[in-house]
Amino acid sequence: MEIILFIAKFGLAFIPLSCIAIMIFLERKGASIIQDRVGPNRAAIKIPGIGSVRGFGMIHNISDSVKLFFKEDFLPKHAHKWYYILAPMLPLMTAILTPALIPWFAPISLEGVEVSGAIINANSGLLMLFALGALSVYGVVIGSWASHNKYSLLGGMRASAMMISYEVSMGLSVVGLLLLIGSFNMTDIVEWQAANAWGVVVQPVGCLLFIVSMFAETGRTPFCVSEGESEIVGGFHTEYSSIRFALFFMGEYAHIVIASALIATLFFGGYHLPGLNTEVIHAHTAGVLAGLLAVKALMLALFCLMTTRQKKLYGALKASDKAVRLKEYSLFQIIFGGGALVAVLIAAVLMFIPMDGLLSELLTAAIQISIVMAKTMFFCWVFVWVRWTVPRFRYDHIMALGWKVMLNVALVNLVITAIVYKLLIETGVISG
Amino acid sequence: MKVQHSNGDTLDLMTVNMGPSHPATHGALRIFAALDGEDVTAAACEMGYLHRGFEKMVEQGTFNMVLPYTDRLNYCSSMMNNVGFCKAAEKMFGVTVPERCQLLRVIVSELSRIIDHLVCLAANLVDLGALTNYWYLFNPREEVYKIWEKLCGARLTNTFSRIGGLYRDAYPGFEGEVLNVLKSIETGVADVRALIDTNRIFIDRTRDVCPVSGEDATAWGWTGPCLRASGVDYDLRKAEPYYGYDTFEWDTVIGTTGDTYDRIMVRAYEIVESVSIVRQAVDRLRPGPVDSDDTRVSLPPKQLVYHDMEALINQFKLVYEGVRPPVGECYDGCEAANGELGFFIVSDGGTNPYKIKVRPPCLTQFAAFADMIEGYQVADVFATLGSINIIAGELDR
Repeated sequence: MEIILFIAKFGLAFIPLSCIAIMIFLERKGASIIQDRVGPNRAAIKIPGIGSVRGFGMIHNISDSVKLFFKEDFLPKHAHKWYYILAPMLPLMTAILTPALIPWFAPISLEGVEVSGAIINANSGLLMLFALGALSVYGVVIGSWASHNKYSLLGGMRASAMMISYEVSMGLSVVGLLLLIGSFNMTDIVEWQAANAWGVVVQPVGCLLFIVSMFAETGRTPFCVSEGESEIVGGFHTEYSSIRFALFFMGEYAHIVIASALIATLFFGGYHLPGLNTEVIHAHTAGVLAGLLAVKALMLALFCLMTTRQKKLYGALKASDKAVRLKEYSLFQIIFGGGALVAVLIAAVLMFIPMDGLLSELLTAAIQISIVMAKTMFFCWVFVWVRWTVPRFRYDHIMALGWKVMLNVALVNLVITAIVYKLLIETGVISG
Repeated sequence: MKVQHSNGDTLDLMTVNMGPSHPATHGALRIFAALDGEDVTAAACEMGYLHRGFEKMVEQGTFNMVLPYTDRLNYCSSMMNNVGFCKAAEKMFGVTVPERCQLLRVIVSELSRIIDHLVCLAANLVDLGALTNYWYLFNPREEVYKIWEKLCGARLTNTFSRIGGLYRDAYPGFEGEVLNVLKSIETGVADVRALIDTNRIFIDRTRDVCPVSGEDATAWGWTGPCLRASGVDYDLRKAEPYYGYDTFEWDTVIGTTGDTYDRIMVRAYEIVESVSIVRQAVDRLRPGPVDSDDTRVSLPPKQLVYHDMEALINQFKLVYEGVRPPVGECYDGCEAANGELGFFIVSDGGTNPYKIKVRPPCLTQFAAFADMIEGYQVADVFATLGSINIIAGELDR
């Protein structure tokens, strides 16, 4: 039983990998929404009997990845071969490793076996997460050095300097929270939040600092100086092409997913929702599931409405491929509308299925995984949102912000937290 | 690269070629920089990668054949270059164009100025990493291009003016479309201003970056928005008014320190002023002729050509030979989007120009660029390069 579960939990390692595809879609479509344009909508696949389907630009992911796989894998003569090949693997590797430490659901007991929500329920969980997260910069630094290109070198220098600076404030920003919780174990951290209050409530400043540090860690705009496409051409990946370039990007996107999951876990209650702690879900599994399915049905109905609107707009246009596209829209209407109905039906049926121990345990875990994923996706969207809103920092401004502002604020936050916490214990408001 | 500093220190510098092919050079320029870490210690700039021999080419054709070449000077505001050349050529002839022609030229000039500034701002903000602004500014620009298509049939290299008049009168409904476009321009600029005005990152990255004092700017021979950003109140539209610019109600926009922030903001506010000028000009548009009645430059009316021998000969001479300016030299400039666009024309009395020398506005700005960026950072180089709006087509000619 334990072995089967252990293997099953390995599936969680693929969460960031599968989220990369969603992230790319989210990024491109999010950008097009923010930038007042249509976005990717050209790539289509022909399904026999149904016709050409574009999937709101989702097909672009497939065509892009196929393109990147089959492009010439160029290895510059002047590059250091082995490091050049090794570098793109590192960020993705660390990003795939990290979800092993994030608790995706509350510990459950299956036939007497305690199963933790994280693949590795280590007591040093958070430290390991930070250690793994910090490793990803090696890919950038090694890649830039091995490329033997001046722009790459500049990008690598910026990346390493930024990583070192922000690693400090990132570590310090969570110390306040850890002081209150008293554990590095990720499950303990979430359980404490479920029992008391979310991290963002008790440590608002720490939360803000942590989110900003996470932007720096992932090297996203406004901290994208290591890439800085208008300044230093492509930064660290100037010399990279085809799938190696894609690996860097998959690493970046996987890192965003991990960073979002971390923000959600450390400061936004992880798998906990107010009023929906593990016991409640466990006691009313069918009801909660039905509620979630109702939300799902509502969303699908909204999608159906959106498709209907688009179909109407498209129908009013002059276009050569009108028949094909209208057929596609009808297909989406059926899928979304039907999906909504099916969700409602399942929700109704669920009410009459008795939830015994094992099924209830597993469904509770599934519900909690979806809660974590929902929060993670929200923060992924924040990453996209910020990227298309603000300009890029200048390198020295990032350093000044990191060392002169964030580090000091984090320290002051820590000291104030410690003093207030001590005073509260002394006065007996809370028990230590 | 080890170099000896004048104060005796030994510096270990890294030389970097930025350009000619670089994402932020917008065209083909080369900045050869010696970097001390991220700081630019010394720089040398090179131009000429887009040299097409404009000044030699135009000697091969007639005066009217020069016009399409002028489109390729500043290809972000082609219409304005036509107006500039026609203005210089008309000065040679001593021709004054009719009121309607002047107003239409003002409208296309100011719309060109607006789209040029939109491109400059958009590209500059992209160089700063703020990509979204690009679409907010390019969407209204696209609408202006739709008007250009209707006016003259071309999208990029539009030629609308002719010596002594225009290609043709504006199409019906032109005024309404222009006024609509102005609205979307105002919306686009307001959206961008909302994104950048109070954005700390933007302000930090542009304020006090590569400032140029008013004296320096004048000494370098700067004109246009960059000069005004340095605090010098000089605008050819006010200094030597043409086409009734003095009768419109508008203000010149003046900066204070001449840094990158001022250069960006002067452009942003000049768009607002240009919008106001276009509104006033559209208001004053009355039906009337657009070509001058001077037979040396304008075709006679078709009715006359069919019935009058002199008119027929006139048409024949103008079409087969072209216009013949009097012998002499003439310089005339207009306030183009980047600054003073001047044409020095030498005529030997023939149909082809003997020599045309262009005074491109961004040449002087690019000449100063190497001095401007020394001591600043790599990121500042491109923030500044965007703000002085180098258009390689006009720079190299």
